[in-house]
Amino acid sequence: MMKNYRANAAYFIKEAVTIFRFNLFSNILSLFSIALIFFIFAMMFSGWQISNHAAEALQGEAEINVYYNQNIGTQGIFQLSEKIKGINGIKKVRLVDEKEAYSRMEKILGEESSVLKIFDENPFNPYLEIKIDLEQTDLVLNGLKVLPGIEHVRNNKEVLDRVHSIAGTIRIFGSLVLFAVGLSTLVIVSHMLRQGIEHNREQINTLRLLGASEVFIGIPYLLEGLLLTMGGGILSGLASEWVVRKMTVQLASVLPFMPFPQAGVLCQQILFALSALSIFLGIAGSMLALSSAKPD
Amino acid sequence: MIEAKGVALRYPDQTLALKNIDLEIQPGELIFITGPSGSGKTSLLKLFLGMEYPTSGYLEVMGQLMNPTQAKAIRKLRRRIGPVFQEFKLFPGRTVFENVLLGHRFLHMPKTDLKENSMNALEKVGLAHKAFSLVENLSWGEHQRVAIARAVARKPLLILADEPTGNLDKENALKILNLLASFKDNKTSVIITTHATHLLDCEKYDKLIAIHHGVLQLERIG
Repeated sequence: MMKNYRANAAYFIKEAVTIFRFNLFSNILSLFSIALIFFIFAMMFSGWQISNHAAEALQGEAEINVYYNQNIGTQGIFQLSEKIKGINGIKKVRLVDEKEAYSRMEKILGEESSVLKIFDENPFNPYLEIKIDLEQTDLVLNGLKVLPGIEHVRNNKEVLDRVHSIAGTIRIFGSLVLFAVGLSTLVIVSHMLRQGIEHNREQINTLRLLGASEVFIGIPYLLEGLLLTMGGGILSGLASEWVVRKMTVQLASVLPFMPFPQAGVLCQQILFALSALSIFLGIAGSMLALSSAKPD
Repeated sequence: MIEAKGVALRYPDQTLALKNIDLEIQPGELIFITGPSGSGKTSLLKLFLGMEYPTSGYLEVMGQLMNPTQAKAIRKLRRRIGPVFQEFKLFPGRTVFENVLLGHRFLHMPKTDLKENSMNALEKVGLAHKAFSLVENLSWGEHQRVAIARAVARKPLLILADEPTGNLDKENALKILNLLASFKDNKTSVIITTHATHLLDCEKYDKLIAIHHGVLQLERIG
């Protein structure tokens, strides 16, 4: 049987093109409509990726500061930081000395930094800056409590909890929106393919009456579906790449504090998602549509 | 080849199309089914092709029981039947040759045989010279002959032609009937429905079946 299908490969392709040409205007409209739907999907996908990236960046910035006893010496600081690294949920430990603490405050205060000049000596103490996994904030704080040599932990727990909550909300909301758009895309595309198949319903039924198998009848329509979805995927991919490159540049200049993923990486992800979506929808949509084209 | 016992067909709208049909058709017979429009001729052919199933009675075509539980096997049975539909059901946008080829290219046959069969069938119906014309560019009578070529190219054991003389003048109708009759041989049966009884030559057919209001009224041996 497979041999028979292989022998008919050229026919299947030719037939798919014939079917496409036979309803040319309607198929061209479908192609552009699919491209548009995919474009909307790509935009939602890029929004989801950007928000995920922002959420990750926000989480990555989650840090707590550990102020230690100034008498423990260099060796003591080293030992303390090694012990801290051993706690679950710690990503990175870094020493911020007095000079760096001073210059950071200068940056934060900006034009108001002249106020620091009233101090004869540097008023800031060195501390250990610790990047943590937000999921394990409580575990980290409990671990730090039992370590000797620590005088004070500035944990900003409320802020960290809020960051955690915002990041989670962004992820969940983004995923839900993307899922809804993906589902609508599947429904709309399969409906469009079904409309195309409905145009050829009589021919399909004639082939059934002549004894052709469902697979033989279905392959050209499957190929036509793939032609439409992949054509739509290519068009929307080109449009999305152009828009995403422009958009990231624009957004980065308007929202400089917002961490954006690299345009090239984002475009690659969009193109991959569109390719997978085109192939999946071409096959699934055509099969759904064919199964709904029941005999008269 | 075909055996029907007490076959009835009732459509979903409760129209009783066929009542208590008893019939036996042997291999190699040429059968004409006549009757006025709406008498049940097309319904009987639909039963033979498995487009409808008897609502009661027993029907067997080429050894295949015709009932809904046998749908898959009936699909395969159709590959041994050459149907000529009343409205032709050709594939638009394709050439005459492609139409004939498409009628049997899903059968497990070598490509060369498929092409040879298609061209031979077109020669038999006198359309070889139009093999590469689009079907849209053919006349009504030529459409009819393409439909016949498509039906016979697969070398069926049973040819079912539904009203092939409809819309044709007397001369062309006779040509079509003679053409269809020519495909009868000792293995192949040909069943033709027509309301043009005046065209039938009793020397040519083996059986004449008349149907009226879904009832088989007359069975005459030719």
